[in-house]
Amino acid sequence: MTGAGADRQFGVAGLGAVAGLLAAWEIVGRLDVSLFVPPVSGIARVWWGLLADGTLPGAAASSLLSLVKGFVPAAVLGVAVGLAMGRFATVRLLLDGWVNALMSAPLSALVPVLIALFGVRDTVVAATVFMFSFFVVVVNTTTGVRATERSLVDMARLFGAGELALFGRIYLPSALPAVMLGLRLGAVQAVKGMVVGEMLISLVGLGERLIYYGNTFLILELYAVIGSVLLLALLISQAAQTLDRALVRWR
Amino acid sequence: MVLALRLASVAAFLLAWEWAARVPISFNFPSPGATLVALAALVTSGALLDATATSARSLLLGFGAAALLGVPLGLLMGVVRPVGRVARIYVDLLIALPTAALIPLVILSFGISILSSAVIVFVFSAPFVTMNAYGGVRDVRPRLLEMARAFGASWGQLVGRVVLPSALPMILAGLRYGLSRAFVGLLVAELLLSPFGLGKLIMTSRSMFEHDRMFATVLWTLLLAGAVLAGLGRVERRLLRWRA
Amino acid sequence: MARVMAAPAAASRAPASLEIVVDGVSKAFGAMPALVDVSVRVGAGEFLSLIGPSGCGKTTLLKAIAGLQPVDRGRILVGPREVRGPGPECSMVFQDFALLPWSTVQRNVEFGLLLRGVAAAERAAVAGRAIAKVGLDGFEQAYPAQLSGGMQQRVGLARALAVRPQILLMDEPFASIDEQTRRLFQDDLLALWSEERATVVFVTHSMEEAVYLSDRVVVLSPRPGRVHRVLDVPLPRPREASDVRASVGFTRLVDELWKILRKLQ
Repeated sequence: MTGAGADRQFGVAGLGAVAGLLAAWEIVGRLDVSLFVPPVSGIARVWWGLLADGTLPGAAASSLLSLVKGFVPAAVLGVAVGLAMGRFATVRLLLDGWVNALMSAPLSALVPVLIALFGVRDTVVAATVFMFSFFVVVVNTTTGVRATERSLVDMARLFGAGELALFGRIYLPSALPAVMLGLRLGAVQAVKGMVVGEMLISLVGLGERLIYYGNTFLILELYAVIGSVLLLALLISQAAQTLDRALVRWR
Repeated sequence: MVLALRLASVAAFLLAWEWAARVPISFNFPSPGATLVALAALVTSGALLDATATSARSLLLGFGAAALLGVPLGLLMGVVRPVGRVARIYVDLLIALPTAALIPLVILSFGISILSSAVIVFVFSAPFVTMNAYGGVRDVRPRLLEMARAFGASWGQLVGRVVLPSALPMILAGLRYGLSRAFVGLLVAELLLSPFGLGKLIMTSRSMFEHDRMFATVLWTLLLAGAVLAGLGRVERRLLRWRA
Repeated sequence: MARVMAAPAAASRAPASLEIVVDGVSKAFGAMPALVDVSVRVGAGEFLSLIGPSGCGKTTLLKAIAGLQPVDRGRILVGPREVRGPGPECSMVFQDFALLPWSTVQRNVEFGLLLRGVAAAERAAVAGRAIAKVGLDGFEQAYPAQLSGGMQQRVGLARALAVRPQILLMDEPFASIDEQTRRLFQDDLLALWSEERATVVFVTHSMEEAVYLSDRVVVLSPRPGRVHRVLDVPLPRPREASDVRASVGFTRLVDELWKILRKLQ
């Protein structure tokens, strides 16, 4: 599917690697090599300050709200459209050209269109989140449904299953692992959409802070926000993975 | 039948667009006709082609670097396992994380220039190119390696005759996906801070409320990216004819 | 896709077996004929095997009898009912087991009963008995992935038997099971069959298996499938108790079958 590495667990090794990177960074920072590599300890101090004065929590809350407003509809609609495309050839033929094209299209180009439609409002961020995450969910769900074993379908039909029973008892559970993968990749994409959208409308959330500190040359603050965005993205991708494991135990 | 359905879906899209423009959903929403007229004007005036050429430079610079560095790095990671085990963690992180957050930093470091856009394009695409090359090497069927060894293949022959051809489909898929991410990065960069290329054209049209021009440029950009990616897909299928 | 079903007659105590009449059936996939004018009559309670080179339409014929595959010409009768879709008297065992990987053994065996609207308590009891019959007691809560291939197919058989079918269709059920397990399983199948007395149509490409299990073996010719020969197997039953595989009669029949099949290649 997409994003070969996006579906892997960042375990102990990952933490070690990050710790190693941070340590090296601190050393280089202390050596005062470049303005753009300030010591990590300095960034941490500023980060703590932004946390305490409510800047980061406020921005993060606004970001998360847009994320939820965009990703929840993308997930629900994406799974529904994916199921329909997987099950009915007519629906698939009508839509798969669009889905495949938009899946790899530079959707960031559409953000100005969204601004034209909605005005400079946080709705644009939610819409960007939706756009970035919707298609991955659709594609993975479709793939999952289509990969359903033929013999399972035959078996259920032989025992008298109608369309509804086939859907609920065969297609949906068969597709579940793929659906969950789609939702996980979708969540990763959603965070990317959130950052892009917020940076482009530059009005609310962590993205706006990135632009602001970038424009005002506040390097330490900029790093603190970048760190927060990365942390948020990691937490969300971890949460999605935990949910996936809990739901698809039978593998 | 298949063709009819596909045509029907395109027609339905254009009708919906036309309808949305007539309602009107928003005064900023031009009809398909107006957009096409603006597109024609932009093409004939040369503005669109100039912008495209500028964008293409950033894209080629950034994506070219991603391909030239990413593929060898991925191969190295796959062939020398310890390197792979460590490096993949960072690549994984770059894939999962919203790299757009790094853009202000890139702009601060490289200034407002084509170089900045190229660096952003690189950051967006390189992780995917690298990861796929790595994955391709790692997924080489052990049976094939055993077979080649049993016939006395040297290390060089092993890599050149078994590992590389086996990994090629994934490398090419990585390049194609990397290129699609490169387009995303290019547009984010140009829309945000570099007053260059297609992004600049979109932003200036927007700020002057010339929404038909803006829509035309966005449409052009999407079609261009689609065409380039489809072309690459074609090349890919050509090269991989052996895969039935 | 939805098919009209007869009233749910799950776990019915109806007669234990039914006759199957396949009358002049033809079926093509696009321009490729798969079956041409096939007529076979399977007696009530008979064990009949379909054998033939790959591409002879064995599985297509089996699916047609099951009502999973509509035919282009001819008709199929299962007892008094003309087959137009899946019916309550048939049950099937699949080559790839067709187990729900997300369900336990117990729930897999209950699945046919569930779809036929049997109440939960009765479902559990019937499935429990079926699981015991195929020798899987103790594995009720296991998932398919935790079982060997042979055990998985026992689950498939238990599921098929749980709905008390009058007709049992088996599509190369032992093809992906190793030889030792397969022999034991064949004996168990014969023992179960002599208890249940369902009509069995068994698709295989093992000549030994066809002769060992069946009353008659129908040989289909390849591309398109036609009935080439019908071989009677007059070996005494119960075969699982005596050493039929070592008998001269058995060897002779297998050899005869081989001579028929060899000409078809």
